[in-house]
Amino acid sequence: MAFHDLKPVSVNDSKNGKTYIIGNVFAVYNAGPEPPVVYTWDMVKQVSVGRKEIKIDAGSASYSFSNKHFRDVDDNIRAIAIIECRYKEYGFNYQHERRMFPLKSLYNECSPGKEVYVGEAVLDEGETAAAFIALLNFKLMKFLWLVAILIMLITVGILHLNIGITRSNVLYFIPISAAAGGITALLVYIITHAVARGMFKRLCETDISARNPITFVISRSGFAACASCVYESRDLIPWSEMDYFIESDKMFIIYKNNSPVAYIPKKAFEKKTVSSIADIIALSLEQR
Amino acid sequence: MAAEVRSEVITHGEKSAQLISVKHGEAAIGTCFAGYTGIGGTGAVTRIFFIGGEPISVVICPNNDNKQSNKLISIAPAFKNYDQKIYNVLGNSIKRINAGESLANGLRDIMSLLEDGVYTVYTADYYPTDGAGSFFWGAYNIPHEVQGTAEKNRFIGTKSFKPCFLVPSQPLDYFTKKQKAVSDESSKRREIQGIVYHLSGFHSVLLKGHHGAVSCLENDIPFRCAVIEKVCEPYVETFLPPPPPAPAAEPAEGEGDNTDPAQAVQAAQAAQPAPEVPVFVPEGITGFRSPSLKVPIELFPKEMLKLVLEGRPEYKPRQFDALMAKINTSRKKTVSNNILPLSVLEKADQLPDYEMVESAYAVNSLSDEQLNCLLAGDVECKGEVIISPNFYQSIVTACNFLQFTDTKRFVDFTIAVMENPELSATHEYVAKRALTQLSSKKLYKFFTDAVASGDTQYEKILTFANTFISRYKETK
Repeated sequence: MAFHDLKPVSVNDSKNGKTYIIGNVFAVYNAGPEPPVVYTWDMVKQVSVGRKEIKIDAGSASYSFSNKHFRDVDDNIRAIAIIECRYKEYGFNYQHERRMFPLKSLYNECSPGKEVYVGEAVLDEGETAAAFIALLNFKLMKFLWLVAILIMLITVGILHLNIGITRSNVLYFIPISAAAGGITALLVYIITHAVARGMFKRLCETDISARNPITFVISRSGFAACASCVYESRDLIPWSEMDYFIESDKMFIIYKNNSPVAYIPKKAFEKKTVSSIADIIALSLEQR
Repeated sequence: MAAEVRSEVITHGEKSAQLISVKHGEAAIGTCFAGYTGIGGTGAVTRIFFIGGEPISVVICPNNDNKQSNKLISIAPAFKNYDQKIYNVLGNSIKRINAGESLANGLRDIMSLLEDGVYTVYTADYYPTDGAGSFFWGAYNIPHEVQGTAEKNRFIGTKSFKPCFLVPSQPLDYFTKKQKAVSDESSKRREIQGIVYHLSGFHSVLLKGHHGAVSCLENDIPFRCAVIEKVCEPYVETFLPPPPPAPAAEPAEGEGDNTDPAQAVQAAQAAQPAPEVPVFVPEGITGFRSPSLKVPIELFPKEMLKLVLEGRPEYKPRQFDALMAKINTSRKKTVSNNILPLSVLEKADQLPDYEMVESAYAVNSLSDEQLNCLLAGDVECKGEVIISPNFYQSIVTACNFLQFTDTKRFVDFTIAVMENPELSATHEYVAKRALTQLSSKKLYKFFTDAVASGDTQYEKILTFANTFISRYKETK
């Protein structure tokens, strides 16, 4: 029953003249004066939300419409939110791309309680990329150091074989080798940064809410991270649904089944509240 | 933005119905979701029926809002009398309807106070009870399961039904003898005694006419109400295809040779036994319904259909936070010395209850032959299940159906059941039902004989028999 007051979305496909209504029911107006075909969500077999289009298989027919046909991004986000809520209720087959924020089907409607922190922010590309790097470093840190040391040793070896290490030139060889290792580490860092930014851009393409204002809520009952245009003040994901979290200097990253589910930037909240928020998350989830 | 209220009459077959659409409604009267209660936070859904900024009734929907489950309903403990403006609108509407205005016009101001959507309005007689024999006003002081409040009734299935029981929109301490004296007079003149808003299943909230309900029941005046129901529930109906055309008449002698071969083939095909045609299930749903009305999609006026499709069954009202803040508070004055007349309470007990009404909708008709089959212990008659494959349920339903539709046959049937020792499991239930027929000489004779006989087969009904006998004597 979370997000139960979302206004249905009407999508007009100017190419084929069809109008789709996604709401309490799924309705399709064909071009012409005929009455619409209306499906309840238990008649829907499958919904695929892709990067460019939404495809709905209902009854014996299949319908698809491009994201371009939505009046605005808010409508597109709301339509996906409605679909995810119905998916929770009716359990049809639901396929979607990778997300930056949790599916609406994970939310429950409940009172957030007294200690609740609400913030709003648009995800910053640099900060999110830094968070991705932090995650990569978290996994690759030892490997990166190993590569740098190896490059340093190889440089020393090459210099020794070609020039030969003597007492007079050893002081030159050490900084040269260290510089080689350092440059390699820097290159790796630059590449990971580029990869992280690429990851963020790819995620932004797959999750349209990533570049829109997001409401973040942290309370003892649960948390929320969803597009502000659909948030309804009492929708939360219970902490028990999540597994652990990682804290970077800019973000809290919440995990479920070893995959990041929500990126919560600290800058969304007032500075003085961040330590209290960290306490609530740490009390609710294991930190890694 | 001012509310847009439009009305239209639709005709389906021989029946016509009044539809009223509300756009940009104030949402000052309606129901809204108010959270979860129970284990794990998802055991039951709580809804509130509100008027203005006041929560009026709390409706707990168990089993995670299962539509086949009865609801627990009670008057909201925080009740304070609602906005005078709304009160005036309700009062004016009932005056206008009784002054001869059409329902659509008379209810227009009330409709603008509702949530957006399409509604149907009609008039119907209501039993001023909770559906279990208690007078409705005062029957909802504590949350309890109210029989007949499930949205979907397993017995009735997808058939339409008219809700006929009431939930008050005021606590009982608002009852005053002075006001009743006024309504005693006015109820004799009025045709429409109250205005109700459908809440759930067989139950509607009485918006206006509480004192009138007391007067009507006391003076045996039918409690006729103007009913408002929201049309928003999708429904599906399967259709049987039209019967194949009748076989062509055999050509007269001599004409055979001149017959067109194509026609001959068609005639031959028509003459063959019709192949088994599968039941036609249309793509998508058939239409939207309220309890009493089914409207196929093609019959909806275009704008109204758009309003249904782009609307929601329930909205989050603007005053939601205020309602939630009030829901668990309590008020100071909750008791009064004004009590309902005893005759009203006794008469409420005699009115049809939920089980009778449900049976009347569930069973189309019961012939004497079918009743005899049931008394003989069969659930089938001529190869068809009479009511249900469950024998005892069949007896109980038949009893309720007859009590609602044909008192004479009911008396004969109950006596026949109670005389049959093999049906002893149902004796208690049937005897209790028979208590409502205090004017029946046959039942009096039967109960008197049963008590006098001392037979062990009547052990279960002795208490009811004695009660019947004493009450029968009191009435004579």
